[in-house]
Amino acid sequence: MNGVPLAAYLGLGLFMFCVGIVGVIVRRNPIVIFMCVELMLNAANLTFLSFARYRIAESSRVTIEAERSVMAGQMMVIFVMAVAAAEVAVGLGIIMTIFRSRNNVDVDELNLLRG
Amino acid sequence: MLLLPIAGFLLLALAGSRLEKMLGKRAVGALAVLPIAVAFGITSYLTQQLAGIDAAHRSIVMSGPSWIDIMGLRIPFELLVDPLSMTMSLIITGVGSLIFLYSTGYMGAEREYSRFFTYMNLFAAAMLLLVLGNNLLLLFVGWEGVGLCSYLLIGFWYKDLANAKAANKAFVVNRIGDWGLTLGLLLITALVAGTTRHVPDARYLSYDAILPELKIALERHPDMATLAAFLLFIGAAGKSAQFPLYLWLPDAMAGPTPVSALIHAATMVTSGVVLLNRMHVVFESAPLASTVICGIGAFTALFAALIAFGQTDIKKVLAYSTVSQLGFMFIGCGAGAYWAGIFHVTTHAFFKALLFLGAGAVIHAMSHNQDMRNYGNLKKYMPITFTTMVIGTLAISAIGIPGVFGFAGFYSKEALLGPALGDTNGDMGGVSALALSGQIGLFVAVLTAAYMMRLTWLTFFGKERWRTQPIVAEDHEEGAHEDAQPRLATLDSDPYGFFLSSEPKSVEEHDHALTSDHTPKEVSPSMWLPLVVLAVLSVGGGYVLENNGLLEKWLQPSSAPVTSFVPAEAPSWLPMVSAGAGLLGLVFGLIVANAEKFDLAKWSGLRLWARNQFGFDELMTNFAVQGGSELAVVLDEGVEVGLIDRIVNGSAGVAAWIGKVLSVAQRGLVRSYAVLMLLGGIAILSYMMLGGKH
Amino acid sequence: MNDIQITPELILFCGLAGIAALASLGVVLFQNAVRSALCLVLNFFVLAILYFTLNAQMLGITQIVVYTGAIMVLFLFVIMLLNLGSARLLEEKWDIKKPLGAVFGIALATLIGSQMLPGFLSRTHVNPLSDYGTPQALGRTIFTEYAVPFECISVLLLVGIVGSILLAKRKI
Repeated sequence: MNGVPLAAYLGLGLFMFCVGIVGVIVRRNPIVIFMCVELMLNAANLTFLSFARYRIAESSRVTIEAERSVMAGQMMVIFVMAVAAAEVAVGLGIIMTIFRSRNNVDVDELNLLRG
Repeated sequence: MLLLPIAGFLLLALAGSRLEKMLGKRAVGALAVLPIAVAFGITSYLTQQLAGIDAAHRSIVMSGPSWIDIMGLRIPFELLVDPLSMTMSLIITGVGSLIFLYSTGYMGAEREYSRFFTYMNLFAAAMLLLVLGNNLLLLFVGWEGVGLCSYLLIGFWYKDLANAKAANKAFVVNRIGDWGLTLGLLLITALVAGTTRHVPDARYLSYDAILPELKIALERHPDMATLAAFLLFIGAAGKSAQFPLYLWLPDAMAGPTPVSALIHAATMVTSGVVLLNRMHVVFESAPLASTVICGIGAFTALFAALIAFGQTDIKKVLAYSTVSQLGFMFIGCGAGAYWAGIFHVTTHAFFKALLFLGAGAVIHAMSHNQDMRNYGNLKKYMPITFTTMVIGTLAISAIGIPGVFGFAGFYSKEALLGPALGDTNGDMGGVSALALSGQIGLFVAVLTAAYMMRLTWLTFFGKERWRTQPIVAEDHEEGAHEDAQPRLATLDSDPYGFFLSSEPKSVEEHDHALTSDHTPKEVSPSMWLPLVVLAVLSVGGGYVLENNGLLEKWLQPSSAPVTSFVPAEAPSWLPMVSAGAGLLGLVFGLIVANAEKFDLAKWSGLRLWARNQFGFDELMTNFAVQGGSELAVVLDEGVEVGLIDRIVNGSAGVAAWIGKVLSVAQRGLVRSYAVLMLLGGIAILSYMMLGGKH
Repeated sequence: MNDIQITPELILFCGLAGIAALASLGVVLFQNAVRSALCLVLNFFVLAILYFTLNAQMLGITQIVVYTGAIMVLFLFVIMLLNLGSARLLEEKWDIKKPLGAVFGIALATLIGSQMLPGFLSRTHVNPLSDYGTPQALGRTIFTEYAVPFECISVLLLVGIVGSILLAKRKI
């Protein structure tokens, strides 16, 4: 993608991240909150990948270090995906359990942890 | 090799009780013995390999991963295979396997069988780390590890108050030694760092790197050498139970007997000697400290030997005998014969483990009654134990015919005392302190033979006293104990039941019900087999190791003097005198044993005094504890109530007020928290991005 | 700041980014959870295409398989199981947090956007490496340099599986 500045990708990532944050705050449905968290994770992934792609744009030489850093960005994304998958599995399990025991999943009514 | 006991420990710790239920005790016992036995095999193999290498290069470093890696300090995890570490490993794994095997029989009736072996395996691992580690920090890790295991094992029967107290005492006294060791290590590190010729590299603290540097550093600062030697000696004295830090060892007898054998006879107490050997360059550079070590060793040997006469508990006699023998080792090390220290460690491991295990067998057969006054004529019932115990007694008494053959102790004791006696340096008004120590040592050798003879005689010969005489209550012992330890008695008032469980003692744990119609039985093969093996070692070990200076040459690379310091030659009359001393002692012991009075009330004052450790334990306890508590009272009334309480209460009030205010925010709602978190994030980001610019 | 030339790639990117942004807004703004989920699927799909444009082909495919395939199906399943599709159960009430959250979100976006993004506007040259996103390259890296983290991740996933089974089962 010649001609597209790095800032464009980062801007999209930033936008998605902020939408995710706002979503976490304003929504009361825990499932949607989870989706917003996924959105934020994906925004971070996009940022990682764009940095990996644009990392060594200044120097034209391909060094081992450059290759390593490019790979590091992609590895990070893989790990984020794996963690997200685990998190979703457990998180949705928790939501199911809460729903079964209270028949309600409104986040604002789950205040048992109140001191 | 090191990994095997660790694996055994982990396996037993994690799955021990379940395994015990599933497979039975026998399987757990096998699992416990197996790792250390295999480790022994590996050690033997390594030793053989090492022996094949040219003497000058007998030191192999096995590198592991980097252990500590922070700026300016990189410590790799390294093991050192050299004659010293191999000798010690052989003792630990070899004698250890025998004791483990014995334990499977001895502890057979215990409930928490797997817990016991968990601790034992952990102990073996820590001890191996101590001797094998290639730098001082690994040594320290092992050092603390064995201290911990000792605590756990002494307090194995933790439901018994006396045992819990003994464990605490051992732990506290050991801390004093550790304090010395820590300071010593820090001082050495600082010294080397201050004078090192090149930039410290990754293996800066490893022995092969630090010892030559240390030698140079110490030559420049002789006063520092003395200080470092003293500090290290405090550490060694704590672990090896030298005066005045010997206090914990006799109490440590509260643990199960195999523990006493393993920890308090064969291995852990020798770690002080190992330290002295490893760091002998420090002690060689500090003649004053060495002389003091020698003197303290001699004093300890004498002191403990005298106390041993006053004891009626079979294990206590052996405990004081251990203290006394350790004193011997320190005499040798102080006189510069470091290899002799290890020699005696080896032979002592053989015969003291033998004696302890034998005593354990006796105790086992006598329904866990430990008082010798109730024994007698056991040779009729326990022939194997009797034979092996007699061999052990002869070995510790250093019986032998000069030039022909002798029991293990004969050679090692001679090697220890020789350099001390041969010293002609008149540094104490014309009298050599070392020679004086050596003479005391000879005298103690007489005493050793005597009290060991007394023990054997009382136990195996004479009348079957538990039939004819009323059973002497052992509670006397523990009663006296409690008076002497007001500090630890505060445990009684432990409000949370943290240390003690209120559960009633289970019958199988401590069964003192020795009745007059009791018939002792010989113990099971898993118990007497180790006895026999150890007996063979006690007979032949010294001869083999001494033959043509086998051990001395073997240890040459690790413990030969690196400075110009040369240990004195042994006087030529020593073997004769030494042999004579042993025999004299035996005869003397026979007399004492026959004149033994079984009622404490008839004992002479001097002897009662010896029984109570010449009042030293009490003195220390009173001094440390009452002095401490008085100080505490002063601090409590003055500082605590007046100043600190006010501050504490005030701050608590403030905190409560703040809490009340802030609890409004704690609504337990996730999303409110998310909002606040976001606000905080924005604040920090703005500070970093906008505020950080100027 | 140098001017940005309008290239076909840029136009393509703007189109995709616009779809992704709208879809992400949709996730938050739709009252119905199913619609939110579908918006998220769309968003993830567009992201996968963007990954392709970033030369990360393998990750683009993974994105489709893992996110749009697995995770989103999981979401839809749970929505269906709990029958939260109708907004009846969760009527969104007015709350001080809503405007607050929106304000904060915009503030964060403005803050980072104004401070960080201009610096990257001029960066249009991509690095010359071309085949770093292939499965081969990824596989080589993951099983050599990142073998230990990779194993850790697999353990984590295992724990996740066990945990969710434990949570979801009624009786253990």
